[in-house]
Amino acid sequence: MRKVLAILSLVIVVLAAGAAFAAEPIKIGYLAALTGDYAQYGITEVNMAKLFVDEVNAKGGVLGRPLELVPYDTKTRNEDAVNAVRRMIEVDKVCAIVGANSSGINIATAPIVADGKVPQIGTVASNPFVTVDNKGKVRPYSFRICFTDPYQGALAADLAYNDLKKSKAAILYNVGSDYAHGLREFFIKRYEELGGKIVADEGFRETDVDFRAQLTKIKNSGAEMMLLPGMGKDMALAIKQAQELGLDITIVGGDGYAEFMNEIAGPAMVGTYWVNHTYMEDPAMAPIFARYKEKYNDECKEFVNGTMSYDAMTWLVDAINRAGKAEGPAIAKALEETKDLKLNHATLTIDPATHDPVNKAGIILKVGDDLKAKFYKKVEPK
Amino acid sequence: METFIQQLINGLSLGSVYALIAVGYSLVYSVLLFSNFAHGGFLVIGGYICYYALRSGGANIWVASFAALIGAGISAIIVERLAYRPIRERTPITLYMLIASMGMSIVIENIFVVTVGGRFRALPPVIPTDPVNFLGLATTSAFDILSLVTAVVFLAGLQLFLVRTKWGLAIRAASYNLKTAGLMGVNVNRLISIVFFVAGLLAGVGGIFLSVRYTLYPQLGSMITTKAFVAAVIGGLGSLPGAVIGSIILGLAEMLTAGFISSQFRDLVVFGILIITLIVRPTGLFGKSVGEKV
Repeated sequence: MRKVLAILSLVIVVLAAGAAFAAEPIKIGYLAALTGDYAQYGITEVNMAKLFVDEVNAKGGVLGRPLELVPYDTKTRNEDAVNAVRRMIEVDKVCAIVGANSSGINIATAPIVADGKVPQIGTVASNPFVTVDNKGKVRPYSFRICFTDPYQGALAADLAYNDLKKSKAAILYNVGSDYAHGLREFFIKRYEELGGKIVADEGFRETDVDFRAQLTKIKNSGAEMMLLPGMGKDMALAIKQAQELGLDITIVGGDGYAEFMNEIAGPAMVGTYWVNHTYMEDPAMAPIFARYKEKYNDECKEFVNGTMSYDAMTWLVDAINRAGKAEGPAIAKALEETKDLKLNHATLTIDPATHDPVNKAGIILKVGDDLKAKFYKKVEPK
Repeated sequence: METFIQQLINGLSLGSVYALIAVGYSLVYSVLLFSNFAHGGFLVIGGYICYYALRSGGANIWVASFAALIGAGISAIIVERLAYRPIRERTPITLYMLIASMGMSIVIENIFVVTVGGRFRALPPVIPTDPVNFLGLATTSAFDILSLVTAVVFLAGLQLFLVRTKWGLAIRAASYNLKTAGLMGVNVNRLISIVFFVAGLLAGVGGIFLSVRYTLYPQLGSMITTKAFVAAVIGGLGSLPGAVIGSIILGLAEMLTAGFISSQFRDLVVFGILIITLIVRPTGLFGKSVGEKV
């Protein structure tokens, strides 16, 4: 009897193990700010990624295995992000990580994912150092799906000079921000190549909220357009104060644009241009936004984050399929070799030397009379 | 020339907002001989009361402003009762109150972070901000003129209160010697509550104007109050005209530096002026000399 029991239990254990093996999920880590000032962006990203995972699992999963999302909160703090990534790799054994959406966090976690040999895809982390270290060498396990700040700066210059026909430009930027420096530097380079002239180049410090002195100088410089390579609040205050000073000027900014700027600057926002990754009414994204609304009973307001999250997950699953196994190094290789991958918001080709997308089209948004940022045009780099 | 006039106007309007806050610092200092670093918190409280009264309460700007001023004034009294009075009653050393005020400043800021969140909020457009042109020489906004006028009205009101009322007289007496004033029959605790109420009320006015100008967020208080504190020190802590003049000097210095040298030199000049003032005249431009008091 004891023998029979032993054999029986052995059979059960083997069967159970076999069943578990067949259904063992592929774990994907998701790094996002879920609390704090930037929580809205992170929550949207994780929601979108969950939606994607459910859809993939409903269709039978990847490589015959279901996907499992392992989200962690960064609290927009580097140290929390670093701990979360360590946990993902050592405890949860994820095969890849999507997120975070900020450059600083991706730069902080880059050495850890490289050690753990787990690829990480930044969603809207546009600083060049996310994927390349300060010696110009590519970080083997760091990728991004968005375009970079220098590239964005060049797109803004193209827009200002070729499309809006403005040949005298002013810049107002935060001297302490890497993001602003990247945009500014490459805007100036491209704008001067095209034949434009920078007539005012004004800085401000992180904590400043009053830009009227600089704006007065810009007003007197004869500038026809003003580049605002900043983040939401600073830019909204500058736009508002420019209007108060009677400075009637064409304003161009980057993907630091945010909806809440309309609340601060009000009608002064009308007619401003913003280089961005995608747009709310993008017909290619409409079905996904509709499914998002159905699942969460809410609009996907942070549409850039939603789009990038869904498409980064799509890209990752494509890479896992091509790699044929859910292992970090193989996935990283497949990510690196991505070519002409049709995503919802763009067609993706990765430069193996930088792990950045190449020749990705930018979307120009223009704020309409109803204070909504609308599709203005798509700019393909020349 | 045009640029100069423009920057002059920019500087005056910035200085007028500093003045409202700096006067609050000076008022408290003149009586209790410590700098209340929680002062910026009252400004934030006023801003949020005004915001919610307008947005959720459906109040008009007059009602909302009134609620904000009273609310900021009362919260200043509460902070004094909770944090400063117990210290005041146990020790004559004002340094402890200074440290307590730093703590209170962080507490107030974090209460807002936890309850209403850290995001930036804009007051509805209740105060006109249209550009106004001065004889073709300079352009400023209607808001700047309004904030200048409001600051003047409130500061004049404060002066009247101090000169014409009984409690004003008591405050002036207490600013020479609080203990003696107490011995002369002044209810010291009530006097201090009134001082805090008035300081909080003025901070509330500053809070509304700063929220309209720079949006509202929990850290708004700490950002601008450092400058207002510097202005109060330059003018001479404890002196109300000093606080006003220090604020105007600071506002002008900031705008002219940013306009004619570089905006990155702005804080360098501000704190440079502070250090020079302290070296040349440690009590500030209008401060009472310490020796005189002793």
